[in-house]
Amino acid sequence: MSGTLGFVSDELQLMALGFMAIVYFLRIRWLLRFPAWRERQAPSGRSDTSSFRGIIYSWVSIAMPWSMESARQEFFFYAQFVIFHLAVAADIIMSFIIPYAPSLMKPMIVVRGLQVLFALGCMIGCYRLYRRLSNPYIRQISSPDDFFSLILLIVWMFVSIWAVPNRPEQGEGALMTYFIMTAFFLVYVPFSKISHYLYYPFTRYYFGKTMGYRGVYPIKRGPEPGPTKI
Amino acid sequence: MNREDKEMPGKERARSHKVKKVIERMGKKLNRQMVGSFVGCVHCGMCTQSCHYVLANPDDPTFAPAYKADQIRKIFKRHFDWTGKVFPWWVKAQDVCTDEELDKLKDIVFGKCTNCRRCSINCPMGVDFATLNRMARGLLTAVGVMPEGVAVVSKDQWEIGNQMGVLKQDYLETLEWLSDELENEFKDPAARIPIDKKDADVVYAINPREIKYDPRTISDAARIFYLAGENWTMASEGWDMTNFGLFSGDDELGASVVRKLFGKVIELGGKKLVLSECGHGYRATRCEGPNWAGMDVPFEMESSVLTMLRYIKGGRIRVDKTKNSLPVTFHDSCNNARSCGFFEEPRELLNLLVTDFREMHPNRAENYCCSGGGGAMSMSEYTPLRLKAGKVKADQLKATGAKIVVTTCHNCVDALTDVIRHYKLGMKVAQLVNLVSSALVIEEKISGVPEILQPAALLQLKGYKILVVDDEPDILTFISTVLEDQGAVAIQASDADQALELAMKEKPDLITLDLSMPGKNGGFVFEELRKDPELAPIKVCIITGKPELRRLIYDRPVPPPEGYLDKPINEETLLVNVRKILETPHDGKKSH
Repeated sequence: MSGTLGFVSDELQLMALGFMAIVYFLRIRWLLRFPAWRERQAPSGRSDTSSFRGIIYSWVSIAMPWSMESARQEFFFYAQFVIFHLAVAADIIMSFIIPYAPSLMKPMIVVRGLQVLFALGCMIGCYRLYRRLSNPYIRQISSPDDFFSLILLIVWMFVSIWAVPNRPEQGEGALMTYFIMTAFFLVYVPFSKISHYLYYPFTRYYFGKTMGYRGVYPIKRGPEPGPTKI
Repeated sequence: MNREDKEMPGKERARSHKVKKVIERMGKKLNRQMVGSFVGCVHCGMCTQSCHYVLANPDDPTFAPAYKADQIRKIFKRHFDWTGKVFPWWVKAQDVCTDEELDKLKDIVFGKCTNCRRCSINCPMGVDFATLNRMARGLLTAVGVMPEGVAVVSKDQWEIGNQMGVLKQDYLETLEWLSDELENEFKDPAARIPIDKKDADVVYAINPREIKYDPRTISDAARIFYLAGENWTMASEGWDMTNFGLFSGDDELGASVVRKLFGKVIELGGKKLVLSECGHGYRATRCEGPNWAGMDVPFEMESSVLTMLRYIKGGRIRVDKTKNSLPVTFHDSCNNARSCGFFEEPRELLNLLVTDFREMHPNRAENYCCSGGGGAMSMSEYTPLRLKAGKVKADQLKATGAKIVVTTCHNCVDALTDVIRHYKLGMKVAQLVNLVSSALVIEEKISGVPEILQPAALLQLKGYKILVVDDEPDILTFISTVLEDQGAVAIQASDADQALELAMKEKPDLITLDLSMPGKNGGFVFEELRKDPELAPIKVCIITGKPELRRLIYDRPVPPPEGYLDKPINEETLLVNVRKILETPHDGKKSH
């Protein structure tokens, strides 16, 4: 491994990660400066729920596609969402494994598994880009950041497919590109929509707290269409 | 255009005074939940299909919840979020500058969204679109940019204390004649609506729509409280449980309204505030009110649905569900179901009241808006949009095959009635209080009142001349026959002109008057009678199948009628009331 690749895979990553952490810290501090809404009234709705249950339900609802009509009815989209996000998470984890625990990447099954995952992620990203361009509803709300973030992830995952084998001796191009892109990704993310995972715990926490306190969460569905007995 | 500064080419656009105020106020209104919802949207579009406006307007992407929220979000990003401040074009942050832009925003937040919160529960990120929309409404309302209807209703609620501008005297007079009817029905002086009774167990608050257009719901509730033996009262002031602050986004109005309501309950020493069936009223008073007012409320609050359910389960009133045998479906009010978790109790009560219930799909927190939520019924400029979006609800209703749709919200009653009429569904809308009232088993109560069981033969009407006015030949014949059987001379008129002509010619002792007639209605006849000095002494008993038309009589600047009866009417009720009216002169003293 060349010194340059060693630098981009280690020090550069740590610098980018440090930068991201600082920006995230500032971002969370900014968010917490706004006062939180407090419910004064007595709890309403069903007695079998609470703020706590609402929060937990809200946080894990992302893993319960049946809990939300939008996910229930768009299961194909939900499945894509799961694969795409798993691919992104695996890609980030890989940027730590390669420099610090490369032996974990040795088994061929891991290499092939990750390559398949990144390839799927890349294809889903392409489909999402197509959807964002072709669906008038989505196109209407899309910003340059939405497009750029998606393209960035598609390219990053595409590059990752070639970086997975981690064989610098056969050429450092793929690994070099992968780590430089990862560093850029880490620096760019706090300013982009990709940082939604930072806000997810907050938005879901407060929405779940309110809906749990008011007896709406967990969502209770009635019987399926057909003759009804109450 | 109201500008403080003129636009300069090549320079950033100047902002109008109103825009400056909107931005300034936005900074003060932001809380952590709102900011989370502003920054959390990833534009995934999952909310799109959850909105009834989108489903009814599939070719117009501007109805998408995320798009509508973005019209508010872009202002937030431009002024309060760092990326939007530095790279506005990159994240679609955008300034607003002119009053025209505020008007466009008004059309979106008031005209294209009912704040039903359906998109919020379908957002994977937990973005609460409805809260953002309501905040935007509040910002616009604060600078006077709002639909005229919202302005008028808000003004009435600020100045008169209730959203329909009902004057105290009218309110009390209406309760008085409802009390008279109740007393007459049960032949019990205690069967009245208590006003400002101290230390009552229940203080009952209503929607002004009930007093103005639908007093039947008040009398239904009064019957139930009476039969349950409840220690209850209604307040002479601070009785409006609705709150336009919820719709206009005006938290100050919201706080003012609930303070009046809460203050009156505290003044009366009431133990519990029972709220009549009104979705937004329940949410505004029960769930949002204490927050707006910054008050920890020292008494319990509950929906009348829960009160009625408790009465039945506790054996305080008895109901017979076979009296409600038509197929019934239930529409969940968004404010009740999606913002207060109130959806099982109405179903439990329905189970005790009807024999044929058909669930609507989707339902509970996933139900679609009636199309009239968020104050849409008061915004006539958006009526075509509202009715078009109501197609989703119409399809839901139709699929149930029910004849009656029950809801726990006055707003929904009006909106559903509109949808049913517009899409020709041939259904009726009812509230639970109506079903409870119609299912009541009251024989035991009546048996204790000997006057009501007087044989008809004792109610001789010999010597009285009675003019019967009704456009339905069957009813005309029925009433005339019953009266003639008791010795009265019955004269028949089937329209307004004939009624006035015969009244002048025959000078009857009493006129029974239908309200809904083709051509000139009963209200017109009544006013003509009262205005004519020669005809004014003739006693009038309104007999109508449309209680909502009472305004045709009681809104007129003439003395009220001597009697009022709801159709369908039976022989005994008719004779008891006619006799009572004929025995009582205009000054209220017995004449015979």
